[in-house]
Amino acid sequence: MDILKIFLYLLVYPGLLFLFVYSTFVEWIDRKLYAKFQNRMGPMYTGSHGILQPIADFVKLMAKEDIVPDKADKKLFNAVPILALTSVLTAGLLLPVWHFSDAFQSATSFQGDLIVIAYLLALPSFAYFLAGWASASMYSAIGGVRVLTLLFAYEVPMFLAILSPAVMAGSWRMAEIAAYYQANPWYLLINVFAFAVAVVALQAKLERVPFDIPHAETEVVGGAFTEYSGRKLAMFRLLADIQMVVGAGMIAALFLGGFPGGLIPGFIWFVVKTLIVVFILAAMRSVTARLRIDQMVSFSWKWLAPLALLQLVIVIFLKGYLQ
Amino acid sequence: MSTFILPVGPQHPALKEPTSFRFMVDGETVVDADLRLGYNHRGIEKGCEERTYIQDLYLLERVCGICSNVHMTVFAQGVEKLMGIEPPKRGLFIRCLMGELERVHSHLLWLGVAGHEVGFDTFFMYTWRDREIVEDILEMISGNRVNYGMQTFGGVRRDLDEMQIKKALDGIAALKARTPYYLNIGASEPTLVARIAGVGVLPKAKALELNAAGPTTRASGVDFDVRKDDPYAGFGEHIPFNIVTDEGGDVLARVVVRAKELMESYNICEYILKNLPAGDIRVKAPRKVPEGEVVSRAEAQRGECIHYIRSNGTDKPDRVKVRAPTLANWPATLYMLRGGYVADIPIVMAAIDPCLSCTDRMAIITDPKGNEKVWNWETLRQYGIDFYRKRGIKL
Amino acid sequence: MSLRLGAMLPEVLKHLFKKPATVQYPFEKIGVPKGFRGRPVMDPNLCIGCQMCVKDCPSEALEIHKESEATDEAGKVSKKFSMTFYLDRCSHCAQCAEICPKKAIHMNSEFEDAAFDRGALKIVYK
Repeated sequence: MDILKIFLYLLVYPGLLFLFVYSTFVEWIDRKLYAKFQNRMGPMYTGSHGILQPIADFVKLMAKEDIVPDKADKKLFNAVPILALTSVLTAGLLLPVWHFSDAFQSATSFQGDLIVIAYLLALPSFAYFLAGWASASMYSAIGGVRVLTLLFAYEVPMFLAILSPAVMAGSWRMAEIAAYYQANPWYLLINVFAFAVAVVALQAKLERVPFDIPHAETEVVGGAFTEYSGRKLAMFRLLADIQMVVGAGMIAALFLGGFPGGLIPGFIWFVVKTLIVVFILAAMRSVTARLRIDQMVSFSWKWLAPLALLQLVIVIFLKGYLQ
Repeated sequence: MSTFILPVGPQHPALKEPTSFRFMVDGETVVDADLRLGYNHRGIEKGCEERTYIQDLYLLERVCGICSNVHMTVFAQGVEKLMGIEPPKRGLFIRCLMGELERVHSHLLWLGVAGHEVGFDTFFMYTWRDREIVEDILEMISGNRVNYGMQTFGGVRRDLDEMQIKKALDGIAALKARTPYYLNIGASEPTLVARIAGVGVLPKAKALELNAAGPTTRASGVDFDVRKDDPYAGFGEHIPFNIVTDEGGDVLARVVVRAKELMESYNICEYILKNLPAGDIRVKAPRKVPEGEVVSRAEAQRGECIHYIRSNGTDKPDRVKVRAPTLANWPATLYMLRGGYVADIPIVMAAIDPCLSCTDRMAIITDPKGNEKVWNWETLRQYGIDFYRKRGIKL
Repeated sequence: MSLRLGAMLPEVLKHLFKKPATVQYPFEKIGVPKGFRGRPVMDPNLCIGCQMCVKDCPSEALEIHKESEATDEAGKVSKKFSMTFYLDRCSHCAQCAEICPKKAIHMNSEFEDAAFDRGALKIVYK
């Protein structure tokens, strides 16, 4: 029975199948919102209102010629997309979507899963850097270096931001943190700064405008992905979508009270809450210009990190006061 | 990281047309910049010598897609001077109107491109959506959206009727209401301002020294505008307008100058449409042009556009030389790029509103023995074909 | 002017409820205005074979050929001309329509001129 459950987690929900389908749906929502904001239509032809367009794009890329540059480090070049995709898929498993109560424990929810998911979500950035390094191209190299620089800018504020709800709830387990806020919904308002920092840092993690510096098209062509094509590029694209879903899911679990109420209501909460985060991300990318790497780093350390620290101090004092 | 060379071009997403930049880069800083032109040479000047004046008019219109009308205007008024004919006042007013409408569409296009270069695609989409209004006006007046073909020797080819004037005024009123919003966004959105303020600075003295042209130099505080300094067509005593300048000298100043020039252009268009003199739009022009030479110039949206025309008494010109404004702006661009960031390359390059095919020339280096070569159109064409065949490109 | 974070946000959110500015082109078309310069159409009955259009065409897209020559009872010679037009060379400047002394050429409002076969772009009016 446990084996079956594990396979259910791995392959269906929240594993491979769900993440694939839902991430393409989220990409479609994101593209549609972005188009709407810009007074355009967005994808229209494939499926109803273009809902199948991300899947069509994925299939198309899978069928395209897959080129490995002669001078590239071939083993690394081929391994990196798989490594990165694996890490975000694993991160997806840790989302507390099966954990409804202490009676119904999920095998993938454990004390400290918050740290593991944050770690797994950080792995793709290293993979991007390695991809840029292995490509042996000028643009890829610059893109790769920019990925790392960006990582140092957003990762610390991100960790500090997710620390606040954890400290407040007194747990390192996402399911417990979510349960804590479900019990005291008003406490969610305490973490509003940390929520803002986490969303901005997630945008940077996903390398979207205004933080799409590593693959800024007009500057460094495709950044670390310049030399990638076909299947491997499809994997990178899929991974970015899944990363958005998992990142949004993590923020929803920590800052928006998780996904209570059993399988079906929990699923609906999951969709609603991740879409709220995706809406904010889409709006953010439509009202800003791309920052320069030095501006991004100084913005992170001047604003994001202090704001997250301030939040942490507020939480610690409040917690002391409440006890 | 030590310095290395970052190639931008001949093919690169930041470039809309082929050219080749070589940047000496130290980490994220540009140490030195070098430019190699010549990837888009089409032999238009040579082609002009083999065609009649009326055919040249349409050939020169295609020097540039964005400033097509300006090249036509400059050539037409130069040849008119050689022929000794003076277009009627209504024709001259419509000539100015086309020039200003073209400036409006070009500046709106540029605002969008500038937004896109710094990753602000929403700005790009909005400006291009509003640009459709002026494109529709141009299409309504001239029958085409890009190469309007409105100018001819002795005036313009099409007249405006009441209906068209009304529609054009409506469109311009809509744009006039909309443009301050873009100026406002350009100066108040923090991420956008962070990318354009203090970037690609060109001081006034350098702008004069390096001979920059158009909005690039006006954004450095040089109040030069051919429309004012050497009035042509209906400008001068007839049509009132102000030269827009800014002391900033950076990309932000260029955005501001262009946005304000848009407002000036709307006013000019409204003035022309409301005060269009009655009468003919053109006079008859002879087919043969008397011997002589002339330099003709006009203010294109990118700067001063100059044509030199030499005639030999036949129906074909002896020599046509085109100096498009972008050519004048390259030295200033290289100056602006040096010492900047890699990330600023696209926006600084875009800030001069470059048009590469306008500027490309071919130089034939005479061998040391002094065997000078004169090429005709056929040899030039064959040279081009062989050039690509040698590189394995099937034609 | 002061900086405002998300200066464009109100405008962008407003557009969430607006109709898109674009149309689904191949299914939905915006018409062209009166006087659009599409492709030239020639009326052979009006042509007098003066070759002005051929001389002035900047892209050498036109050829005028004599089709037939007949003399009626009064001894008046009537000639028929045909025009061969290469759409792939045409630059739609409408100089031919402008120069024609008999107004035998006009521009239609066709704007979808693409074809897979170059031969389809050779049009003969006779």
